[in-house]
Amino acid sequence: MVIAPAVVSPGLDLESSFTQLLQGFGLSPGAAHLLWLPLPMLLVLVAAVVGVLVNVWLERKISAAVQQRIGPEYAGALGILQPMADGLKLLFKEDIIPARADGLLFTLGPVLVLVPVILSWLVVPFGQHLLISNVGVGIFLWISLSSIQPIGLLMAGYASNNKYSLLGGLRAAAQSISYEIPLALAVLAIVMMSNSLSTVDIVNQQTGAGILSWNIWRQPVGFLIFWICALAECERLPFDLPEAEEELVAGYQTEYSGMKFALFYLGSYINLVLSALLVAVLYLGGWGFPLPVEWIVGLTGQSVDAPLVQVITATTGIVMTVLKAYLLVFFAILLRWTVPRVRIDQLLDLGWKFLLPIALVNLLVTAGLKLAFPAFFGG
Amino acid sequence: MFGFLKKVGDYTRDAVGAANYLTQGLSVTFDHLRRRPITVQYPYEKLIPSERYRGRIHYEFDKCIACEVCVRVCPINLPVVDWVMNKATKKKELRNYSIDFGVCIFCGNCVEYCPTNCLSMTEEYELAAFDRHSLNYDNIALGRLPTSVSSDPAVTPLRELAYLPKGEMDPHGVDPTRPRAGQLPAQVLETLPKAAAAAATTAPAAEETNG
Repeated sequence: MVIAPAVVSPGLDLESSFTQLLQGFGLSPGAAHLLWLPLPMLLVLVAAVVGVLVNVWLERKISAAVQQRIGPEYAGALGILQPMADGLKLLFKEDIIPARADGLLFTLGPVLVLVPVILSWLVVPFGQHLLISNVGVGIFLWISLSSIQPIGLLMAGYASNNKYSLLGGLRAAAQSISYEIPLALAVLAIVMMSNSLSTVDIVNQQTGAGILSWNIWRQPVGFLIFWICALAECERLPFDLPEAEEELVAGYQTEYSGMKFALFYLGSYINLVLSALLVAVLYLGGWGFPLPVEWIVGLTGQSVDAPLVQVITATTGIVMTVLKAYLLVFFAILLRWTVPRVRIDQLLDLGWKFLLPIALVNLLVTAGLKLAFPAFFGG
Repeated sequence: MFGFLKKVGDYTRDAVGAANYLTQGLSVTFDHLRRRPITVQYPYEKLIPSERYRGRIHYEFDKCIACEVCVRVCPINLPVVDWVMNKATKKKELRNYSIDFGVCIFCGNCVEYCPTNCLSMTEEYELAAFDRHSLNYDNIALGRLPTSVSSDPAVTPLRELAYLPKGEMDPHGVDPTRPRAGQLPAQVLETLPKAAAAAATTAPAAEETNG
């Protein structure tokens, strides 16, 4: 079931095509590479920000629909420019650092929250070669990067010199730490099945039989654990204790305004999109179409390596990944208006007493099944 | 051993129950997605105030006899009736009349008791002001009629739920000529037999004369 990288056609490799093109103009390989470098960075930033804008718009519109309201309507058609207006407003607002706050930590906090989240986009694949870097430890990189975030939150909470901020920061740290473990264990079960930490290999292992080979059928419990933990990591509504407005004003964000607040805002939404993308990659077959693309291509009598076919498969890959991710985002938004916020003790109970044992059992069962049925659970 | 198994069983049952409740809740929120918004987009759309709506009070200076009944029935003696006795004609001469709507609670007692019906309730409810003293209306301001919601060309009037035709939940796009659900008293009278109708119309009148 696992397709070795050598078998996969070189296909759409944008980097090599780009550098070859530049070398064709007479540039040295080094210079061509240097010119290539800013493009993926820019792409990640643009993709992340556009993802957030879409996410914010969806959040506002779906929230409105659930509550039988209209939602933003006048900024652009159907209020599509509303997130832009929100962002611009924050950009132009005064950037206040409270008098008794620790200026350096106060500034560093939001940066430390945002940077790892954007960095994690490196490992999100939209196709066989459509990712920034196919690091061997892909998914592990994401897990380790996501544990930098609570440091930033704690920093922001502590530096604000405000009791609500401090409590919010402490809660955020406690929450992130306790939900990271079941999250990592759920990922570990997947990794065990696909014999690789690389996100591309994880998706390739799910492409055999279309929708039937997706990991969600083999790891339903892992999927639920991962989704719950991802919501908790993103501080989405059943678990948004760090910024519980009824008790903590806005948690660690209380003293923030202007662009620094926007960084937190951006960070939390990028994190949501990222988590949804990773759920899609780990459990819903990543860029895979519900029917295997190879079958469809074979039916139409085309070669998989034909340029047009490759462009089409790459496009469907991107569309499928984004579609799956936004389906999950929609689910998260719906969940936001369905479930009430848990208490802090319930939150920690759920993390340590429920998800952790279940995740361990899941890992154990997966290991057993892998030994018993290597054909279905990755040999 | 069995104790442990029972614990695991209870745990599983709890988890399944929680999942069940969660799906029930999700189905409720999901169902709301397909319902139409009930929003009334306020400055452009306004609800028609219900009949007997107690809005800003209208006052007709020429009808007023300066009896001050309105002041007596007012819970806080709010209306200011400024009159002088004309010694020659031996009659009260009204100079000014004012009500401070920043203080008024719109109970309608003054309207109820005014012997000459010079006070009445309007449908006006947009009384927001930058300075509360500007809400102290004198007899000129009290005499102005508000723009009614249904005659204002800039506003789409919407009917409240009780005034909608039967089966309609959303006021948007409902034909204004369609009658509301139920019957008005006059329509009920038409359905009654002649004798009963006559009795029904005379009875309240008789009551009034007796009382």
